[in-house]
Amino acid sequence: MRIGSTVLLSDQNCIQSYEWKLKRPLGRIQGVFDSLEEYHCDEVAIIRPVRDNDSVEDFRKDIQVVKELSSMTPISFGGGVRTLEHLKLLQDLPIERLIFSSAFLEKDEKLILAAKNLFGHQAIQCLLPIITKDGETWVFHSSKNKYIPFDSVDIDFINEFANEVILFDVIHEGMTNRFDWSLLEGMAFDSKKTVISGGVGRKDIQIAKANGIASVLVDNKILHQEYSISGYKHATKLS
Amino acid sequence: MKVDILDIGSGNISSIKNWLQKANISTRVVKNAQHIESELLILPGVGSAGSYMDRLIDGNYDVAIREHLNKGGRLLGICLGFQIMTKYSEEDGGVNCLGLIDGHVERIGSGKSHNGWEPLQFRTDDMNEQLFHNQYKLTKKRVLNGRVFYNHEYGVINKEDKSFSTPVSTDFPQYDGLFVKDKIIGIQFHPEKSQITGLDLISMIL
Repeated sequence: MRIGSTVLLSDQNCIQSYEWKLKRPLGRIQGVFDSLEEYHCDEVAIIRPVRDNDSVEDFRKDIQVVKELSSMTPISFGGGVRTLEHLKLLQDLPIERLIFSSAFLEKDEKLILAAKNLFGHQAIQCLLPIITKDGETWVFHSSKNKYIPFDSVDIDFINEFANEVILFDVIHEGMTNRFDWSLLEGMAFDSKKTVISGGVGRKDIQIAKANGIASVLVDNKILHQEYSISGYKHATKLS
Repeated sequence: MKVDILDIGSGNISSIKNWLQKANISTRVVKNAQHIESELLILPGVGSAGSYMDRLIDGNYDVAIREHLNKGGRLLGICLGFQIMTKYSEEDGGVNCLGLIDGHVERIGSGKSHNGWEPLQFRTDDMNEQLFHNQYKLTKKRVLNGRVFYNHEYGVINKEDKSFSTPVSTDFPQYDGLFVKDKIIGIQFHPEKSQITGLDLISMIL
């Protein structure tokens, strides 16, 4: 199992978000990566937490800071990759994998196939920001800026086109040992292709390992607890 | 040492460049097939085999790669860049590849993918029969013992005699993770994203 980190990129700088509401600045992306690389972080997912008001110009500005990044750690990138125009801007970035969310919810096969041709099927990840409300599971549809019922999502489409699925616990983002495992109940995703993020702590890592989860992405607050990555890896060995 | 990175319009060129620069090796990115003029040519590989081979042929890169080898140049292929050195790939319904290596590429298993870190150990002395190894003595280190990052759904079945190779992992022993034959080296993992082991590797094999 891989142990990586989620890094949120907003207005060309990194932030820590709590429950998708409070935002705390973490500084320049290169500084964040330098720290993560020192901990031998297995992978980093750079996510732009954008909504329906994202523009190509904002996307272009964020892309520029990613382009200038010097890193030898595997990187996934996503957030606002919604058209072929966006996709063209991603060429020759220091990234291996692409994260799509709205494109999967809208079943944008043309965009995802174009990404597959450029990066390969192994590079395509689907991000599903999820919550439970009144006993039902909902997915946040970023480009529409609203939650939609999980039942309305075409799981077969995701399983066909995505190499891995990132399940993001929105409510517990920024917390520790609070990942809501009930979110995974009844989901038709192979655990070997499932990545979890949001509130992941040491206990969650042990549970993830026991359940054969592909990867866990720890919120980037770990930057303020410098022992964490090695501690988390130790937790995996013990589980 | 002259190192060219072939840019055919897809691939993580900046990561490869960053990897070599961190190992204090200067590089040149080549977009035109006629401009290849180096001791070592690197084929980065990102994408799917069908579209990658189409781009190679459309840009006459396939001819230029063979000429580079015929002139005594060394060739290093990474991930898909390694896979397309074989005779054919099962990807995209079947694709004829460059045929520089006796072998083929197959899906590592229906619905399977291999994304993660694996250990890599070898001694440079084991490569002594190959022309490629450690020509520039960038390091005195002879034993590599580290971990490397894989992200692939297809693997190389190597049928070459007298090549040096290491398997991808204990779970995928039939596929080559590192391959060296004469002046060709193929790497299934991503050395440019394998942190300190990636740097050790390039210093030890060049």
